[in-house]
Amino acid sequence: MKEGWRIAAFAVVIAVLVMALAPYIWIVLTSFKTRLDALADTPVWLFTPTLDHYPEVFIGKGYLPLVWNSAIVAVSTTLLSLAVGAPAAYVFARHRFAGQEDLFFFFLTTRMAPPIAIVVPMFLLFTEIGITDHLIAVIIAHTSFTLSLVVWMMRGFFADIPREVDEAAQMDGLSRAGTFLRVLVPMAAPGLAASAILCFILSWNEFLYAFILVAFEGRTLTVGIPGLITPHGTLWGQVAAVAVVATLPIIAFTVLVQRHLVRGLTFGAVKG
Amino acid sequence: MGSAVLDRYVGVWFLTPALVLLLFILVGPFAFMVWTGFTDLSFALPNRDGNFVGFDNFRRLMRDPLFWDSFLLTVRFMVVAVAIELVLGFAIALLLFHQLERRRLVLTLLMVPMMLAPVAIGLIWKLLLQGDFGMMTYYLRKVGLLGDQQVLLSNPDLVMPAIVAIDVWQWTPFVVLVMLAGLMSLPREPFEAAVMDGARPAQILRDVTLPLLRPIIALVVLLRGIDAFKEFDKVFILTGGGPGTATELLSIYTYRMNFKDWDLGYGAACAFMVYFVVLILCAIFYKAVFWQEGRSRAKGRAGA
Amino acid sequence: MTVEFKDIRKAFADGTIALDRFNLAFDEGEFIVLLGPSGSGKTTACRILAGLEEPSGGSVWVGGRDITNLPPRHRRMSMVFQNYALYGHRSVYDNIAYPLKVRGAERSQIDGRVRETAAMLDISALLDKRPRQLSGGEAQRVAVARALVWQPEICLMDEPLSNLDALLRLQTRTELKRLHFELGTTFVFVTHDQEEAMTLGTRIAVLREGRLVQFDTPREIYRKPATRFVAEFIGRPAMNTIDGVIRDGQFRAGPLSVPAAGRPEGPVVMGARPEELAIADAQGPGAGLFTVDVVEQVEPDTLIFLKNGDTEIVVRALREAEELAPGAQVQVRFPEDGLHFFDPETGERIP
Repeated sequence: MKEGWRIAAFAVVIAVLVMALAPYIWIVLTSFKTRLDALADTPVWLFTPTLDHYPEVFIGKGYLPLVWNSAIVAVSTTLLSLAVGAPAAYVFARHRFAGQEDLFFFFLTTRMAPPIAIVVPMFLLFTEIGITDHLIAVIIAHTSFTLSLVVWMMRGFFADIPREVDEAAQMDGLSRAGTFLRVLVPMAAPGLAASAILCFILSWNEFLYAFILVAFEGRTLTVGIPGLITPHGTLWGQVAAVAVVATLPIIAFTVLVQRHLVRGLTFGAVKG
Repeated sequence: MGSAVLDRYVGVWFLTPALVLLLFILVGPFAFMVWTGFTDLSFALPNRDGNFVGFDNFRRLMRDPLFWDSFLLTVRFMVVAVAIELVLGFAIALLLFHQLERRRLVLTLLMVPMMLAPVAIGLIWKLLLQGDFGMMTYYLRKVGLLGDQQVLLSNPDLVMPAIVAIDVWQWTPFVVLVMLAGLMSLPREPFEAAVMDGARPAQILRDVTLPLLRPIIALVVLLRGIDAFKEFDKVFILTGGGPGTATELLSIYTYRMNFKDWDLGYGAACAFMVYFVVLILCAIFYKAVFWQEGRSRAKGRAGA
Repeated sequence: MTVEFKDIRKAFADGTIALDRFNLAFDEGEFIVLLGPSGSGKTTACRILAGLEEPSGGSVWVGGRDITNLPPRHRRMSMVFQNYALYGHRSVYDNIAYPLKVRGAERSQIDGRVRETAAMLDISALLDKRPRQLSGGEAQRVAVARALVWQPEICLMDEPLSNLDALLRLQTRTELKRLHFELGTTFVFVTHDQEEAMTLGTRIAVLREGRLVQFDTPREIYRKPATRFVAEFIGRPAMNTIDGVIRDGQFRAGPLSVPAAGRPEGPVVMGARPEELAIADAQGPGAGLFTVDVVEQVEPDTLIFLKNGDTEIVVRALREAEELAPGAQVQVRFPEDGLHFFDPETGERIP
C-alpha cells in the first residue's frame, strides 16, 4: 500500500518533469536537425545530427556580436547594480531613519514597474540626450529593475549577519565604510554572488528595453531572435541554434544559484 | 577629522547613488510619461508636437472599446493563469514535500522553464505549435484534443487558452518552488499536534497547512498577478496580439499605440493605466508582506 | 491495560541510533516519566508511542494489542508539545475544541467538554483569545486542555515545562500532579530534569544511549541506583563516587580507608550521597582526612567541597560546617550502610 503510493507519486513527478523539459529538449534537438528532419510531418526524435546551423547563423548571419552585446550588457548591468545597490542594502539593513520602510517600498515598486510603460518615455529621453543605439542605454534601463533586486536580496543577507560583527569591527578600529567594505561584504560574499547571477540572468533574458532602445549594431541576443522569424520559410534550425546559445548560460547559472533563487524571486520574503 | 565626518554620514553616502540612479532611470521617465499623457504628441500626424490637451487622452481612453477589451482580456488572462498555476503548483509542491528522494535534482530540472528568456519561450512554443510540423500540434491532434485543421496560434477561439497554457508551463515551477520553500519553513509541531488531535490528512490540509501558508499564498498570487498583468514578451513573439486582436493584452495594445501608431500622447495614457493597476497590486503586496512579518513576530512569542 | 515497548529499535536516516533494544512495560493510570540526558532516546520513545515516529524494529503493544502500525488518530492518545504547538490562527476555544471536532463530536457535547476542561485548568477567561495573546504559562495550560479535553487513555507530554520560567515550572508541576490524581489518566512525561522526574513520576524510566537503564519508583531509584550513571544523574549535588579497591574488608583509595566488610576483593567504585556523609570530630573507623576547598551556603544546608589528593567529594551538612574555612583539615565519616558499590568496568551496581 505504502509502496504503491510511493511509486504513484514518483510517476507523477516524472510526468511533471517530462512536461516541463520536453519543449526545451525539443528546441535543443531542432538545433541539430537538418531542414528535412525539422519540418517533418511526424516529430522526429532520432536523427543524424548536423552542426551546420550554428556556424551558419553565428558566422554567416553575423549573430556572434549579439552574444557579445548580451554579455556586455548583462555584466555591466550586474556590476553597476551591485556597486550601487549593495551599499544601499547595507543602509536599509543597519540604519534606522524616518520613512525608511516607505523608501524601501519605493525600491520594490521599481522592480514591479511595467517595462512597456517606462520604455516609451525612456526612449524619448534617451533620444533627446542621444544615447539610443548605444549599449549604455540598455544597461541603464536594465539597472532599473536589477538594482532593486540587489537592494532587496542584499538587505536580507546583511541583516543575517549579527550586528555584533559590525561592533567588533568598529572596536577593532575600522570606520563604518571600512566595516562595510572589509568585513560585511566578504561575509556576505555568497549572497553577493547569488545576487550577481540573478542580475545577470534578468538582464540577459530581457527583451523589451533592448528591443526598443537599440537597433543594428547594439542588438542583444534576445532582440536578434525575432528577426529570424519570417512569415514564410523560417529557418527553424538556425532559430533553435540561437535559442540554445541564448538559454544555455542561463541554465548553467540557474544550477549555481538555485539555493537562493526563491529568495531572489520573492524579494526576500521567502527564504528558499 | 574630515574623513570622520564623512564616515558619520555613511548612510547618506551609501544611499545617494542608488536614489539618484533610480531618479534618473525611473522617476524621470515616469514623470515624463505622465506629462506626455496630457499632450497630443504624435510622430505620425502633423502638427502634434506635444501641445497640452488636458484630460483629452484619458477621456478618449475611457470611451475606447478596444482599450477596454484589451483591459478585460488582460484581467481574465491574469486571473485564469494565476489560478491554474496556484492550484497546480500547490499540488506539485505538496507532492514534492512528501517525496524526498532526489528532490534537489527534481527542483533544479523543474526550474528550467521559468529561467528561460520569455522570448526564447515564445519561440520554443511557436515552433511546437506550428500547424504543419509542430511537435505539440502533432501530439495534440493524435490524442484528439485538437482538430486536424486547427492551428492553436491562429485560431481566435483557441489562441488565448494556448497562451494561458504556455504561461502555466512557464510559471507553475515558480509557484512550486515558493510553495515548497513555504511548506518547508513551517514548524513541524502544529502538524504533529493535529495528527495527535485525530485529524485526517484532508483535515490537516484544510485546518493547518492552508492557514499557515496563507501569507505565502498571498505573496505568490500577488507576484504572479503583477507579472501576468505586465505580460508582453511571450505574446509578442507568439502572436503579436493576433489573430485580429484575440491576444492583444494591455502591454501589446500600449505597444501598438506607441510604436505602430506613434500616437505617443494617447499611448502614454495607456501606459499610465498599466502602471496604475500594477501600483495598486504593489500596494496590496506591501500590506500582505508586512502582515506576514507581523505574524511571524507574534509566532516567535506565542510559539504557535 | 498495559503499555509495552518490545525490543524497540530506532535508527534515523542520518545514521543516529536513538533507541536500541528498548523494553519497557507499565500499567494504566500511572504517571510514567521518561528521564535521560539529551540524546538518550526518551523523546523518540515517546514519539514512537504516539505514532509520530515509526520504529525501525520491535513493536508497541497497548492492552494486549499490537499498535505498531496503527495511525496516531486511532491510538486514543494525546500529546502536549514542548512549544505547545497551538494553532495560531484559531481562538483558544477552537484550539481546545479541535480534537473533539475532528473526531466528529456533536456541537453541544463539544461546548460542554471545552468549558468543563477550561474550568478544570482555570483558563475559562481565555477562551476568546488568540494564542499570540497568551503568556507562556497560559499557552501551556491551553495545550494541556487540548490534550485532555477528549479524555484520551494516555496523555503524552514531551518536555512540556522546559519553556516556562522557574517559578511557573514549579506551579505547573504541582498542577499536573493534581490533574493526574483527579483524572486517573495514564501520563507519559518526557524530561531531562531529574527533579521534575522525582516529584512527578509514580515510576521513572531512566534512559541512556537508547537503552533503558532502570525503571522503578523515584524512591528506589534514589536509594538503589542500578548503575553508576543513574547514581550520578539522580540527586543534586550528585552522588560522590570514588575509584578504589577493596582489600582486607576495607575500601581503599589513596590514604582513605573505609570499612566494607564482606565484599569481594578487587577494583571498585564507591558511591556515597552528600547527605550521608558527615563531618566527624575525631578520627575513627570509616573516616578520612580531607581539606576544605570551598564552602557554599545553600540555605538551609551547607555544601562543603573537600579534597584529598585526587579525590574530591562534597558533603551536605546542616549547621556545623559554618565555621569551616577553606584550607581547614577535617575528618569525613563514611557510614557503612550509606555506601553504594559499582563495577568500575560496566558501571553496574554490586549488591
